[in-house]
Amino acid sequence: MIGYRSGQTLFHRLDPRSKLLFQIAFAVVAFAYTTPRGLVALTLVAAVVALAASISVRQTLWSVRFLFPFLLGAPLIASLSVFPLEFTPADAVEPALSSYRIVLIFIVSAAYVRTTPIRDSRAAIQRTIPGKPGALLGVGVSLVFRYLPILRTELLSIRDAEAARLGSERPLRSRIELFTTAAVRRSFAHADRLSLALSTRCFAWNPTLPRLVFTKLDIPILLLSIVFLSLPVVLR
Amino acid sequence: MIEVQSLTQQFGETTAVDTVSLTINDGEFVLITGPNGSGKTTLVRHFNGLRTPTSGTVQVNAMPVSEDVVAARTAVGMVFQHPQDGFVAATIGADVAFGPENLGLSHDEINRRVTNALAAVNLSDREPDRIDSLSGGEMARVGIAGALAMEPDHLVLDEPFTGLDEPARQSVLEHLKTLSERGTSVIVVTHDLRDLIDCCDRVIAMNAGAVAIDCPSTDARDALSDAAVYVPPVSEPEGESEPESL
Amino acid sequence: MATQTDSVDLVGDEVTANIARAALFAALMGGFAYVSFPNPLAVGVPVTLQVLGVFLAGIMLGPVWGAVAMILYLAAGAVGAPVFSGGAAGLGFLIGSPTLGYLWSYPIAAAVIGLVVHRGVDIRDYAAVSMPILVGAMVAGTTIIYAIGTIGFAVVQSVSLYEAFLISAVAFIPFEALKIAAAVGIIKSDAIAAA
Repeated sequence: MIGYRSGQTLFHRLDPRSKLLFQIAFAVVAFAYTTPRGLVALTLVAAVVALAASISVRQTLWSVRFLFPFLLGAPLIASLSVFPLEFTPADAVEPALSSYRIVLIFIVSAAYVRTTPIRDSRAAIQRTIPGKPGALLGVGVSLVFRYLPILRTELLSIRDAEAARLGSERPLRSRIELFTTAAVRRSFAHADRLSLALSTRCFAWNPTLPRLVFTKLDIPILLLSIVFLSLPVVLR
Repeated sequence: MIEVQSLTQQFGETTAVDTVSLTINDGEFVLITGPNGSGKTTLVRHFNGLRTPTSGTVQVNAMPVSEDVVAARTAVGMVFQHPQDGFVAATIGADVAFGPENLGLSHDEINRRVTNALAAVNLSDREPDRIDSLSGGEMARVGIAGALAMEPDHLVLDEPFTGLDEPARQSVLEHLKTLSERGTSVIVVTHDLRDLIDCCDRVIAMNAGAVAIDCPSTDARDALSDAAVYVPPVSEPEGESEPESL
Repeated sequence: MATQTDSVDLVGDEVTANIARAALFAALMGGFAYVSFPNPLAVGVPVTLQVLGVFLAGIMLGPVWGAVAMILYLAAGAVGAPVFSGGAAGLGFLIGSPTLGYLWSYPIAAAVIGLVVHRGVDIRDYAAVSMPILVGAMVAGTTIIYAIGTIGFAVVQSVSLYEAFLISAVAFIPFEALKIAAAVGIIKSDAIAAA
């Protein structure tokens, strides 16, 4: 599982806003240059990122294993035709390059996830998006981080409790209905208590935001992002 | 000082709080007790404007709650029965900072308050710890720290001991005693009295939305046994909840 | 204290309650990533509950807060909450994944379902809404999800729309009928309507 871990890598010390911009810039270039040569160059960039963030490529790939059927299936299905039944390997090239491009983008985004605590992400959101939308998004995202592990545990215990009462013998629709009813009821009960706690602590639209400052370290990655973003326009 | 005058709260047909008048002085340690559904939780939720009275008024430090909700919520800290549902952040420090951040305080002031609040509940230097990793007693103390970081004059705790084992309960109780000795009024809402009567200054017992007993703690044992108010002597697993519809 | 409290722009209690519900619903969507039901038709393709979550967000929270809940879900996943399929996370899911169209369609679908069920942005009692409207809203939502999802897949994987539909949609669509039926059962049950 790829998740935040505290550390002292180069990527840990970058401003989260730089890292967010860089991911977008990287994806833009990857979509613009999905050619063998472009992907070789981007592979080098992704390798540097993986090193600078000290992430394991193997772990990253494992975390997105549920997408493999799509990544492998797309080139396959593109190269097959049914009437008449034919296999045209040349048709698989472009979808295969696209699949590879997706993997590179995931490596770069895993670097952010591994090196950025939620507090920094919240600050980045609230400092980038002005006003109430930014405040709503920042607080909302922190709350998702806070409640996900709680709900996850509860969902698994609801499922086990229903299986224990032979719920697993019921038809699928009925099982989904029972499970989801219990899950939604729990969620809303949490929400009602949470909203009292938020109100009591003066939940405000204009709180003091956590500190966030760009440093000299951010200059190279910001410059690289700008270059990436302008490449498809300039070299047209 | 918290002054409640002729407060009534109705939820549809039910009268949750029925013309209650009382005054809580600065520095008092007050116990509010009564059976489930007696209106004690609803009553204290008026102290910082979480509920709007059907009739009557509540004043905190001589200011009507309805006129300045922020002042009321700053002056009256509140800790709820399930502290784990009051946390907004993943780490102790980030959570305790939430209240002061909402007040728009400077970073230095926020840090000072977080440090003091955590020190008051013996959790100094635990700021980076994840809340998920805490025991029930520690969670209860982080909940109290979150309220203390607002630097309230009054601290209301709704069933603070639910789900705590005896050592954790004692530890939370010790912290409450210390707070009260330092001048914060402490208001504990509970149906689990046990040894609490000996720790507090005053006992208020509610029944059917009204105040049935309001006496110094020294007289409380006699008053409680004389009155028709049933007060369970030992802990029950679940506390009071409000009627759902408003 | 007075000078201090004047500057605090308090979030109203009703909006606070909506934010809390939207955030919890977003977390619930994330929790659904960890629960799947065995597929009676195809063993390798488990039935997941995410789309049911989109339906219920639109119906129970309404078009505005239902969409907010979905946006919170996507944003939390983008900055690292393990909420995407199999407990994965990262902005890559929103800007590079073959499933990005499906993910981006969730807020839109929740908003449309909410608009149809509540006949506008103001919330009304969803338990009293007629069956054809509920089902129609969810069918519209499903169509939006699969349309945007298929287009996204075709663009990201450089395949035709037909191929994208075959590989990313066909195996899953039959179960949406099941989820629509389940959603109707859930919202007609008193358990949640009373909350």
